[in-house]
Amino acid sequence: MESKASIRTHKPVSTYRIVQIILGVFFSGYLIWRLYDVLIAHPAYGPDTWLRFAIDGFVLGSVYALIAIGYTLVYGILFMINFAHGDIMMVGAFGGYFVFEALGAVQVPSTTGPGLSFLNAYPAISVILAFLAGMGIASMGGYFLEKIAYRPLRGAPRLVPLISAVGASIFLENAGQLMFGSQRRDYTNPTVLERGIGWNLIVGGKPVILTYTGVFTIVVSVITMIGLYFLVKRTRLGRAMRAVAENKSVAALMGVDVDGVISRTFIISGALAGLAGVMWGIHLGLVYYYVGFIPGIKAFTAAVLGGIGSIPGAMVGGMFLGLVEALGPAVLGISFQLKDVIAFSILVLVLVFRPTGILGEVLSEEKV
Amino acid sequence: MSHYLRNGLNAGIVFGIVTIFLVLIGFTVTASDLIGTFLGNASASGVLGLPAVTFHLLIFLFLLGVWSGASGARKSPTEADSWRRVLSGAGLAGLILGILAGGLAMLIGSLLLAGVRMSTYFAQLLPDAVRLYLLGLSPASAAIFYVIFFFISGLLGGVFAYRVLRGSWRKKFSIWINTKTQWILNGSGIQLFKRTKSIRLIVYALAIGIVLLIPLVIGDYWNYTLGTVGIYVLLGLGLNIVVGLAGLLDLGYVAFFAIGGYTVALLTAPAPHHLLWSFWIAIPIGIILAAVAGVLLGVPVLRLRGDYLAIVTLGFGQIIAIMLRSDALIAFTGGPKGVSAVGGPTFFGRSLGTPEDFVYLILLAVVLVIFVTIRLRSSRVGRAWEAIREDETVARAMGINTWSHKLLAFAIGAAFAGLGGVIFASRNQFTGPEDYNLMVSFNVLASVIVGGMGSIPGVVGGAFTLKGLPEVLRELENYRILAFGALLVVMMLVRPEGLLPTSRRKMEIKELHEDANEAGETSGGKT
Repeated sequence: MESKASIRTHKPVSTYRIVQIILGVFFSGYLIWRLYDVLIAHPAYGPDTWLRFAIDGFVLGSVYALIAIGYTLVYGILFMINFAHGDIMMVGAFGGYFVFEALGAVQVPSTTGPGLSFLNAYPAISVILAFLAGMGIASMGGYFLEKIAYRPLRGAPRLVPLISAVGASIFLENAGQLMFGSQRRDYTNPTVLERGIGWNLIVGGKPVILTYTGVFTIVVSVITMIGLYFLVKRTRLGRAMRAVAENKSVAALMGVDVDGVISRTFIISGALAGLAGVMWGIHLGLVYYYVGFIPGIKAFTAAVLGGIGSIPGAMVGGMFLGLVEALGPAVLGISFQLKDVIAFSILVLVLVFRPTGILGEVLSEEKV
Repeated sequence: MSHYLRNGLNAGIVFGIVTIFLVLIGFTVTASDLIGTFLGNASASGVLGLPAVTFHLLIFLFLLGVWSGASGARKSPTEADSWRRVLSGAGLAGLILGILAGGLAMLIGSLLLAGVRMSTYFAQLLPDAVRLYLLGLSPASAAIFYVIFFFISGLLGGVFAYRVLRGSWRKKFSIWINTKTQWILNGSGIQLFKRTKSIRLIVYALAIGIVLLIPLVIGDYWNYTLGTVGIYVLLGLGLNIVVGLAGLLDLGYVAFFAIGGYTVALLTAPAPHHLLWSFWIAIPIGIILAAVAGVLLGVPVLRLRGDYLAIVTLGFGQIIAIMLRSDALIAFTGGPKGVSAVGGPTFFGRSLGTPEDFVYLILLAVVLVIFVTIRLRSSRVGRAWEAIREDETVARAMGINTWSHKLLAFAIGAAFAGLGGVIFASRNQFTGPEDYNLMVSFNVLASVIVGGMGSIPGVVGGAFTLKGLPEVLRELENYRILAFGALLVVMMLVRPEGLLPTSRRKMEIKELHEDANEAGETSGGKT
């Protein structure tokens, strides 16, 4: 009798599993067929184009990874999606933009020839200042966001902080629109970091440009990620963060200042978003009030893809998503206008097939 | 540092930042316009030799200063009241606010004099707006004026807080309010209304009659506005089932609205397909298609909870929006240009195309949807939804098939949105991707949350406040969405159950808060 009952309770789960497997086989079969079609049967693009797509994907992916780490840090500790994270990135991007604009207006006297602007005379200092400003203002944004919109709601039903986060996101976006206007602005880079110039690689007899901004973006984000990994694994703050993520009350009993750690987590995640925002501006060159929204959702996708709560997962997820987004339209043979659809479909597919992500720990259903 | 001074410092900094923010988003200009509208022509000629706009701006800033002073003078329970302490807190708050506001005046004033075009960077800092903020003075004297002005208004705020908010006046006021409400609730008229069925019927009949007569007298513009509000009521009622009753946060709700709108457009319009079906056939098809889409979306994602569900539905809404905007479906949906000449309803050969007719149609739909919602809510299904919202695991343990009930909530919510979309597209005689942006989802969500999750009067009230009020106060149009965001946060902080909550929801929130307080921080652990 007992075994019969247990069979009956498990039955719906197994049908779901079967549907999952059938769909999975279908999708992978389709993908393999498309790959065969695009690469071998009807090669639409040469190797140079594929390489260009891949480079774009890596650059974009490294930015996604930085934003995704912000989501993952917060999710790991509070189990809530910081919906306004993308808008914090927008704030950071504007911070860097204003530094570039201000430094571009300052003239440096020069003994030889006409004076240069500070931006072009000292590009390294300018870029560092822009990063500092973007990260500083974004981490302030993160800090106040937590203090105003999330902290009073700790312990409330889960829907409540989530709605508060959606509200904060709408507020930030529209405050940006009202303050800075709706128009898209060009990010003025120092001339050495001009967009579109870089090293020329010859692939298959055709040139592929490896842009300075792209390499710069990848290098900065990789260094940041390594630093962050050590911060979380090796430092006192990192240990406190992991303790709070594990169990808040026990951490508090062990003498960890839980509120302080959460605040600092938001500051770090804000700083990462600010960094990503400035790099977004430097590499892609556009900044406006809505700039953080779509990358924010995609970075969340990346975080889920890698396994939310896991920092290496966020890095892998971000890179993977960037690559898929860059290569996907070409592989699937659809219009490039629809590349966002690919990213969002991946989100849905991951959540359906493997909600724990690539590197994710096994989450209880309660959490998912 | 004494408590009062710290309090004053905090209040001053917060209000200073708020003031700078308001200047940067141009709200100071709008506020002075608004005050001018309220005061009417009486002050148009100007007071004390000031131009009217400046005077109105000063009124607004004065209120801000008073508020900052009142908040700087807040008392901690352990400290005794004294004039000196109150005034030191309030005065410090006003002074800090004045220094920040004055600093801003100094900065933007001198930039203006230096000929920098600030509006390239800060869209609202047009030269006229900056000159208004400078009150027609030079930057330095404006800064000094602001310091003194805010200091005085802060002190007044302290006095106000001390005398009015804390003193005997407050007690008297609350007693007065209580007796008045008691008098109204227990008054003979109300009692008669409660007891006598015939009087109740007459009152209801009168109310319905007045509601039915309103569209005849208010003219096309207001009928159009009323219709828009009505469509948002429809959407709100649908989302109310998903978010309010079943507790599933759906941020891609606009997708179902779009499906309804595009269904009627493609079926009745001449342009892409030339089907030219009747509006009345398109209604059920639109509703059914939206419900089917709800089921199709629901099947994979409803196993997820809370946050994940929100973001997946958001992604789904974006997918629909991107598809509609792109060229991929251009042959089928008309692409970015949309579909025009959408057919309207006809009644025995008479076309029902005026805004007035649509108000009646929408009213009918709203009544129908409210009826369905009420019946569902008090049925077995409704109670199952509320159980799922309260605690899904327990609901499952009670023998509720949570998955199918959630799916049903999704489908019914989607069906209501589909109905709203059909009417919306048909009334506008046009449908395009821009009608279905994400802001629609957020609008509807805000009206559900503000009104009170699960509560029908709350949804109706919320839609009227959020969609109707900005139509009345046109000056505030730019700040509408900003206010939505702030409102969502503030509602969650202050009154998560909404303005007109159902009694059960109120109880739940209270219980959960108490539970959370008891359990402390343990609930966040990895269990």
